[in-house]
Amino acid sequence: MILTYDLSEENKRLLGLAEGEEVYYVLPLDIDMQGHFRRNSYFVMTNRRILRLEEGTLTGVYPLEEYDSVKSEPQIACGFVYVEKDGVQTIVGRYSAKHLTRFSYMSRGMQILKSGRTEHVISNEYEHSCPKCGRGLPGIKECPHCSGKKKGTIATFLGLLRGHVPMMLMIVFFMLLATGITILNPVVQKHLVDDVLLAQTRSVKAAVLLLAAMFVLTMGIALVNALKSYYCSKMGAYITEDLRGTLFRKIQSLSLSFILDRSPGELMNRVMMDTNRVKMFFESVFCNLFTIVILFVFVTVYMFILNWKMALIAFAFTPLSLFLSMSLRGNFRKRYRLQGTKSDNMNNRLQDVISGMSVVKSYGQEKKESERFNETTEEFARVQRSNEVFFAVFFPALSFLMGIGIYFVTFIGGRSVLLGDMTPGELIQFVNYTGLLYQYINWMSNMPRALMNLLTSLERIGDVMEQEPTIVDGEDCICHEIEGEITFRHASFGYQSYQPVVEDVNLTVKKGEMIGLVGASGTGKSTLINLLMHLYEVDDGQILVDGIDMKKIKLADYHNQLGVVLQENILFAGSIYQNIAYARPDASIEDVIRVAKMANAHEFITKLPDGYQTYVGEHGGNLSGGEKQRIAIARAMLGNPRLLILDEATASLDTESEYLIQRALGRLTKGRTTFAIAHRLSTLKDADRLVVIDGHHIAEVGSHEELMEKKGIYYHLVQAQMSGNMGLRSETPDMPPGPHGHQGPPGPPPGMSGAAGR
Amino acid sequence: MEKEFTLSQMEQETDEMLRIRYLNKENAVFQRTGTGFLSLTVGEETYDRVQVVRMFPVQSTEDLLSIRTVGDKTKEIGIVEKITDVTPETAEMLREQMNLRYFMPVITKIRQIKTEYGYAYWDVDTDKGSCCFTIQMGGNGVVHLSSNRVMIVDIDENRFEIPDVEKLSHKERKKLDLFL
Repeated sequence: MILTYDLSEENKRLLGLAEGEEVYYVLPLDIDMQGHFRRNSYFVMTNRRILRLEEGTLTGVYPLEEYDSVKSEPQIACGFVYVEKDGVQTIVGRYSAKHLTRFSYMSRGMQILKSGRTEHVISNEYEHSCPKCGRGLPGIKECPHCSGKKKGTIATFLGLLRGHVPMMLMIVFFMLLATGITILNPVVQKHLVDDVLLAQTRSVKAAVLLLAAMFVLTMGIALVNALKSYYCSKMGAYITEDLRGTLFRKIQSLSLSFILDRSPGELMNRVMMDTNRVKMFFESVFCNLFTIVILFVFVTVYMFILNWKMALIAFAFTPLSLFLSMSLRGNFRKRYRLQGTKSDNMNNRLQDVISGMSVVKSYGQEKKESERFNETTEEFARVQRSNEVFFAVFFPALSFLMGIGIYFVTFIGGRSVLLGDMTPGELIQFVNYTGLLYQYINWMSNMPRALMNLLTSLERIGDVMEQEPTIVDGEDCICHEIEGEITFRHASFGYQSYQPVVEDVNLTVKKGEMIGLVGASGTGKSTLINLLMHLYEVDDGQILVDGIDMKKIKLADYHNQLGVVLQENILFAGSIYQNIAYARPDASIEDVIRVAKMANAHEFITKLPDGYQTYVGEHGGNLSGGEKQRIAIARAMLGNPRLLILDEATASLDTESEYLIQRALGRLTKGRTTFAIAHRLSTLKDADRLVVIDGHHIAEVGSHEELMEKKGIYYHLVQAQMSGNMGLRSETPDMPPGPHGHQGPPGPPPGMSGAAGR
Repeated sequence: MEKEFTLSQMEQETDEMLRIRYLNKENAVFQRTGTGFLSLTVGEETYDRVQVVRMFPVQSTEDLLSIRTVGDKTKEIGIVEKITDVTPETAEMLREQMNLRYFMPVITKIRQIKTEYGYAYWDVDTDKGSCCFTIQMGGNGVVHLSSNRVMIVDIDENRFEIPDVEKLSHKERKKLDLFL
């Protein structure tokens, strides 16, 4: 991402740089204080000053030494930058959302300059649009258009055909065959009329022969078409299969941020819908494409040779036919879409109410809900009715209008026949061709849309294919057996880098130590864990594993040594056995049973009718929260991880299963470096050290006793949970809220392990 | 940690959070800081800088405003229920702050929409001047705020508004139709 925009010579002159003064960052102030768009206005930071250029004049100078900091503040779809001195903030300028991220980098740059260092801040983020040509960039570094790398969509399409050449040739063969037969049929009809029916010597034998030929041709075309469609569908299916496989692999290889940025539905659409569209294109369009283009050309030429005047008349009506079919089709589409939307509304409404039935009933809203549902069904019915009427009236009318040219051709041709300029057979042949011509024109008028659909789908697929994973193994990455010492060094990170979630975190964790992460929600605990799991990479600073930068350890190798137990554990459809063995499919049955026992899961599993082979539905549907949790712990244990992560592992459990799980976790964490997040502080009573996170920073570090002694944020949290657990009792006189000397109990009180408090 | 946390303090804070305090010309004095921001004095309390947040930004841009402290732990100081509750001068100050916070140009004319490779390139006039922007096709670039009111979000997450689609010319509607 650009942090130093180019300045014109005129602007550079305006800056009046002193000797040894160097421009560090140049960012556009693309809206003025009133919010109007403007050009040629910049925020400039040198190693000595901040300057503001507005439309060709220097309007502000802020020497760095006079100010404590410069900050960018994101607003709603815009932002502003201000300088701060002794707590007084002065606005320097405004910018649109396009530059939000840049300013936050610049703000970091100012701190570096203030601290006496001279390095430039560099952003590895990608531009959203190409700085040269302005085209959108779908999460790629270089503009394919400007760097000349873009494979045209046609090339992508042809790429899909690779590996299917024999089948492709077969299809082309059938296409040509179909073309030949379609052209031949009217020729035979002509002979039947001219040479047999109207001949001087009428031969029944010849008539039967020609009829037989017509029969064979008709049968032939049906057969050829069937074969052609069969092979087209088959190829379409093969291609979609390939495409889905590649897409899926690609999506899996991408970093989590790419996947989380998009809704699961959107990615599913890309894998399913877009590939399906490609398939449909093969089946319904590609299959007929060549046949119809060849036929169209042939029929046109033939008609002109046969009788150019009549051909002209036939063609004179094509614009009308085209216009009618295009304009009405637009109308049809709109109607279909409206009907689709209304039907979706109805379905959504229904789904909403049925899934929320308990709420509807408990609030006594049945009547209102059924009224609302009636409204949506009525609306749907109204649209549907109107559409049915429309189609019933307009389809026949349309086909009449489209074919109107044929009546004129027949009229003129009939006269020619009567005048003896043309044989009746030729007329029949001609009329047949005219019919085909209109049919093809109608078909081809649909082509632009079909092509457009294909192109969009191919592009959307290409968008995923062109993504480059942001977390990849570098060439110098190594395999490393983790000992368990973890160091955060100035680690900073934000999902959107202009809003840091974790800022300048410094922490060293000894091998085998258990760290409890504590803090209010949204302070960055889970983010810290995500960084530790290397699902994201720090924007600034480092995370060291046994003194080695995490980025230098092979991803797969690192992940193999991680064990993770989350609040909502994902179990996949399959047996309990398969779910436990997920991390190590080669584990022996004994291994699995051993870890299940250690996780206090063996007992309940053997009680199930199907034991270890109990089928777990999607998301582990038929198991309770505690059971799922214990399976997840067994899964984590089986991997024998060097580094363990527990994210709210005991939330949402009842007291008994919590006890069992605590025991299981105790066995799991023994001797392993562990990071645990818990809202319920009692869960962390085994932690060696607690790390309190507040306002994106580490606020306190220490053991439970130390932190209670300190009476800081942790003490406050313990107090809050206690009073929460005890309900309203703190208001009663027997527990006076003494302002001082109200000592917290030495350990988390037993009441805290109860289910309340959350 | 200098500050000590005690139960009574916490309860006091909670109570304060629950209270709805309306600000009006009688109890609140807003003043420009001269550095682009707004300060506020309510009774004994003085705030060097406050921000003005719309609670119902889609429905009402001038009413139901939450006046808040700034920073990570922003807290509500009070609510301006109607902008007419404060003096016209104060109302003007609040508008300035809202203008600073919200940026959503209103599209007055659609000159051209060009689509290419999954992106749509718009060339429009807005109440904030003419501009060009890009949206992603097939994404959530066009959001219906009501049946005729549309918000357009570009690839940089800038926002644009079309208050009434029906009021556009026939030609503009046609260009827009692809997205509705």
